[in-house]
Amino acid sequence: MITAGVDIGSTSSKVVVLEEGEKILSKVIIPVGAGSSGPARAFEQSIREVNLSREDIKRVIATGYGRNTFTGADQQITEITCHARGVYELVPGVKTIIDIGGQDAKAIGIGKGGTVSNFIMNDKCAAGTGRFLEVMSRILEINIEDLADLAASAKNEISISNTCTVFAESEVISQLSTGTAREDVAAGIVQSVVGRVAGLVKRIGVQSEVVMTGGVCLNWMIIKVMEKELDVPVIASPMAQLTGALGAALLAFESAS
Amino acid sequence: MTQLKDLLSVLENVANNPAQVINKCLEEKRLMIGCAPEYCPEEIVYAAGMLPVGLWGGSTSIKNANLYFPAFACSLVQTTLELGMRGVYDRLAGIIVPAHCDHLKCFGQDWKVAVPQVRFIPLAHPINRKLEAAVEYLKSEYFRIKSVLEEIGGKPISDQALSEAIEIYNDHRKTLREFTTIARDYCTTITPSLRHNVIKSGYFMDKLEHTQLVNSLIRELKKAPPEEWQGKKVILTGIMAEPNEILDMFEDYGLAVAADDLAQESRQFRTDVPQGKDPLEGLARYWSCMEGCSLLYDPQKNRRFMLKTMAEESRADGVVACIMKFCEMEEFDYPIYKKTLEEAKIPLLYLELDLVTPSLEQVRTRIQSFAEMISRKR
Ligand code: SF4
Repeated sequence: MITAGVDIGSTSSKVVVLEEGEKILSKVIIPVGAGSSGPARAFEQSIREVNLSREDIKRVIATGYGRNTFTGADQQITEITCHARGVYELVPGVKTIIDIGGQDAKAIGIGKGGTVSNFIMNDKCAAGTGRFLEVMSRILEINIEDLADLAASAKNEISISNTCTVFAESEVISQLSTGTAREDVAAGIVQSVVGRVAGLVKRIGVQSEVVMTGGVCLNWMIIKVMEKELDVPVIASPMAQLTGALGAALLAFESAS
Repeated sequence: MTQLKDLLSVLENVANNPAQVINKCLEEKRLMIGCAPEYCPEEIVYAAGMLPVGLWGGSTSIKNANLYFPAFACSLVQTTLELGMRGVYDRLAGIIVPAHCDHLKCFGQDWKVAVPQVRFIPLAHPINRKLEAAVEYLKSEYFRIKSVLEEIGGKPISDQALSEAIEIYNDHRKTLREFTTIARDYCTTITPSLRHNVIKSGYFMDKLEHTQLVNSLIRELKKAPPEEWQGKKVILTGIMAEPNEILDMFEDYGLAVAADDLAQESRQFRTDVPQGKDPLEGLARYWSCMEGCSLLYDPQKNRRFMLKTMAEESRADGVVACIMKFCEMEEFDYPIYKKTLEEAKIPLLYLELDLVTPSLEQVRTRIQSFAEMISRKR
């Protein structure tokens, strides 16, 4: 049986096509999300790559911020449940998930069998989200992927506010204009995101193993600083931003069989 | 069945279109007095022959009220003032405004200046409410309000009228208690939003009439056997569960309301006004008898145990904290009952609500995740 998970985030669309709930047939990421042509394009590409049509897919589950607008799905499940299921498949010992997405951050407590036991979300401000890193990278004139390396070379990390993206932006600009080294500012940016998200995680209780998902877990400095902040090892999900789509495809398989 | 549907649509219509009822009141030349959240002595208004109208804000944008309120005032006071400034409440002969929290204190002061055409009737409840002196004091507050209403209405309010009003209100409370208990067994027919509307409609109707309608509704419901409910059941706690879309989301994700601990709903009718020789004293004593609300001073914080018992007795699968954004009163209580519910392993969802910028999709994700969480748990 073939199933698919479509994760429609605020900044990207991710699809995983799964055979018998085990073998990944295809995975696609398109860097535009909810409200765009991204979800449909990502889905079409994912099935075309393996010469399948929609009829071959027994069940499709949509998840993520744009889950309710994707017409090709049989069911919608939230990204919280899907991330929990996806991570549980990849790291069965998981107890805590940190998901930093494009426009929100979530801490999820995991109970028996990969079920959600508790969760908390921050979606009031871009501080502590991927969006924050994007805005800051633009000011530093670097690609977001290079932020980790730049931050790692800091000598005198500075402190940047983590309560408001707009204020943080002007703070960064004024730091740069007074001659603060870019790497020190970059380290401050990483610390700002981690500080904000760690606060969220502590509210649900930090229990090992801690796994981080979402695009931001590709930033190795964030993982390293998060470990320090939480005082436990933090594992980056092996499927990073595809974890939610994997979870959705797995849940589709389980509900169809 | 048709009778049941008709009754539900009448009550729903009143809850969603209070203006119609109000217009009828105007035709009958009956004066109306607005009652601001959360606790007003409606019985005195009723005894004066006037119609008490509950004012609980509404989903609207703020264009005028920000002249007086900072952005961090709760949307309940902001939208009520906004509607007042737009003239929506101009037909009211006055408005009673309690001072339960800092936002309401400002609201009352702002109202005086911003909506001078609707007479402001202040009310300050005592904090140390269990003392005999508190009853004495509140009685004097109610006496003052009674005098103001006598002046507005141009006739005295007798003790007999007060006692009758208390009886009518207690009867109404009893009926709503019965309704909320019965509703639990008919979760398919009485959806979360219908349940809310049945209760809310009472804020715009003569309580005598509302009691009759709800009693008929109960009788009609009982004609059919209790419905089997496949979904989950939750308890709602907080000030209110609006905007309306929120309750539809509960229905969308298979959540029924087992019971509530909302200021706009059960907190208004779970305790009766003590009846006795002195009706004003009974009304004042009522404030000392009520329990389990963030606005009632309670050093023991018994609300946490009430919620736990409520969840257990109604066999609810979880509790949803409907926290009005910027409502400190509810925010102070939250960590206290959170701890108790966590210890009892009762799942709890924190839902921040706002009538002005409701962020409905974010709320949807929280409600759906919570529904998924409690469904997969068992
Ligand atoms: S919702 Fe809270 S802050 Fe607003 S009026 Fe009521 S008690 Fe005060």
